[in-house]
Amino acid sequence: MKTRFMILLPALALAGVSASAIAQDSDAGTLAREVCASCHGPGGRSISSTFPRLAGQQAPYLEAQLKAFRGRTRGDPMAQAYMWGMASQMDDGTIEKLATYYAAQQPAHGRAADPKLAQRGKVIYESGIPGANVPACVTCHGKNAEGNSTFPRLAGQHAEYLVKQLSLFKSALRSGGNAPIMHNISEGMTFDQMTEVSAYLASK
Amino acid sequence: MHLSKTNITLAFTSVVVAATLGFSESSYAVPSFARQTGMACQACHTVFPELTPFGRSFKLNGYQIDNLPQVAGITSSKNYELLLNQLPPLSMMFQVSYTSTSKALPDSVVGGADAQNGQVLFPQQASLFYAGRIAQGLGAFIQMTYSSDSGSFGWDNTDIRYARQMPLADDALTLGVTLNNNPTVQDVWNSTPAWQTPFDQRTSAAPTPGAAAMIDGGLADRGVAGASVYAWWKNSIYAEFGLYRSSPQGVGGSAGAGPLDSSTPGGVLTSNAPYWRLAYERQWDRNALSFGTYGVVAKISPEGQPAGPPSDRFRDVALDGQYQYLGDEHIFSLQSTYIKEDMTLDASSVLSGTNPTNNLKTFRLAGTYFYQRTYGGSLGYFSTSGSSDAAFYPVEPVFGFANGSPDSKGWIAEVDYVPWENVKLLAQYTAYSKFNGASSNYDGSGRNASDNNTMYLLAWLAY
Repeated sequence: MKTRFMILLPALALAGVSASAIAQDSDAGTLAREVCASCHGPGGRSISSTFPRLAGQQAPYLEAQLKAFRGRTRGDPMAQAYMWGMASQMDDGTIEKLATYYAAQQPAHGRAADPKLAQRGKVIYESGIPGANVPACVTCHGKNAEGNSTFPRLAGQHAEYLVKQLSLFKSALRSGGNAPIMHNISEGMTFDQMTEVSAYLASK
Repeated sequence: MHLSKTNITLAFTSVVVAATLGFSESSYAVPSFARQTGMACQACHTVFPELTPFGRSFKLNGYQIDNLPQVAGITSSKNYELLLNQLPPLSMMFQVSYTSTSKALPDSVVGGADAQNGQVLFPQQASLFYAGRIAQGLGAFIQMTYSSDSGSFGWDNTDIRYARQMPLADDALTLGVTLNNNPTVQDVWNSTPAWQTPFDQRTSAAPTPGAAAMIDGGLADRGVAGASVYAWWKNSIYAEFGLYRSSPQGVGGSAGAGPLDSSTPGGVLTSNAPYWRLAYERQWDRNALSFGTYGVVAKISPEGQPAGPPSDRFRDVALDGQYQYLGDEHIFSLQSTYIKEDMTLDASSVLSGTNPTNNLKTFRLAGTYFYQRTYGGSLGYFSTSGSSDAAFYPVEPVFGFANGSPDSKGWIAEVDYVPWENVKLLAQYTAYSKFNGASSNYDGSGRNASDNNTMYLLAWLAY
């Protein structure tokens, strides 16, 4: 610990109003390890399904979401409770670095699902639900659910998290970004169908 | 709480003692942190004051996450010499309570008459907090509390800590040091005494069992200060070691703060009291399971006696465990602890004729459930038993002991309504099957254990 004298003098000399420490941190790896990892896990491979896995996620998607948190345009309950605060002082450079960092991380392994459930989910993912006006997810999210630009990677994501997001899209509680598209798609899905497609994606 | 014979009468006939026990064991969540982090209470708490895994990480890392605009000063090497919130992380707490016992307490002056039963405390406590980052790596939880029992302000739970994170074996290692005023107030699991759910929130206006181990609030009552170092690795393994010394406030009266001696109202720790804590936590999906050990060895001069030898020695060794399920709709937790205290009463046995050695064992187990963090309740069991010692645990109206026995046991049931994340309304009922050594006529004046059964209503606002 430095003495009070040493802390105060340079501080007075250099003091000025700045953004938060998070916004100022230039090392995305350190920021991810010391702050984000508390919820999103080491390298973005979270343990709790409360928090999405970020490892291997599409960088443009992460950027869009962080900006939506910062701008408070993504307003689902967990976004408000956690991410509005966390993103509030992030500058564009920090957002970009964090997105790049997580996109470069090795994705977590999928979690085995009930084969029958996953098979029904696979059909929905690849073919949609024609009678309910639900298009095939594969169209935007990719053959291996790896995502594409602002369409997120879904492979290996927590099933419980995916079900919750689909429910939030359906009820329009989740807004911002591509949410209007997902609202229209999820409107035709039942809870069971959401569970099936999520189980399939989580197992990938 | 252990008291020498010389002060037993004073201590045990005073409702203030019961009030003080309640005072020191209270615990709070703080909107200061929400202000600093920009995150809702639910990030760190299941329902306040119980911590989530994220809340544990936030505390152990020195209360650092900060999403407010800063006043900053940096050196030429880009180290922060100052990193200060533009607005201080302050908050308030206000508690209003109503307490009634199954049978009124006797009037303190008129024999045969009763005191009023059904006491309203407005406030029971009111606190001002500074809780958040002080500098890079340095943070604090500082609580100043007004208690209506004492009618004055005093320092309550305080934990000032410095922590650094570093990568180790592909994961994070946190090393830290904490300065605090009550062993276990720095702890992050709600299975240790300072924050044990739901036992940490009790009325200050009803008799509570008279025997408790030093680690179980006894040292907090005496005013101690401690420093400990800790390590936390992989959100899993925790180790801490520290030393406590006496630091009562107001010692010396008009003469000022002189050396601690027989004038100290709570007895003096005659030397450094070592404290240790080891814990292991495993998290999977929405679950967190932990178990550990903690303890202290405290040498204390009896009240009213010089701080020099001989002294009484209290060795507390405890086990604890916690399980949490943190769902979106349902939250469930289970906390338990077992504390064994061995006393070697070299001073009291000579001065007051107590046994040369005593032991005391405390067990507590409770489960808590919440639906949507709004409707919930707790059910808990508590038991304290130990060796009998008529000089250490004397007969006294209401607060005395039967046959010198410290045994107490009973149940606690609580119903909670949390209309907003920072407001908790609770009704708590405590039922004693044994109180201070007996079920019936435990105090030798005709009072039964069940007469102390307590209904406690609390409105708890944090803002």
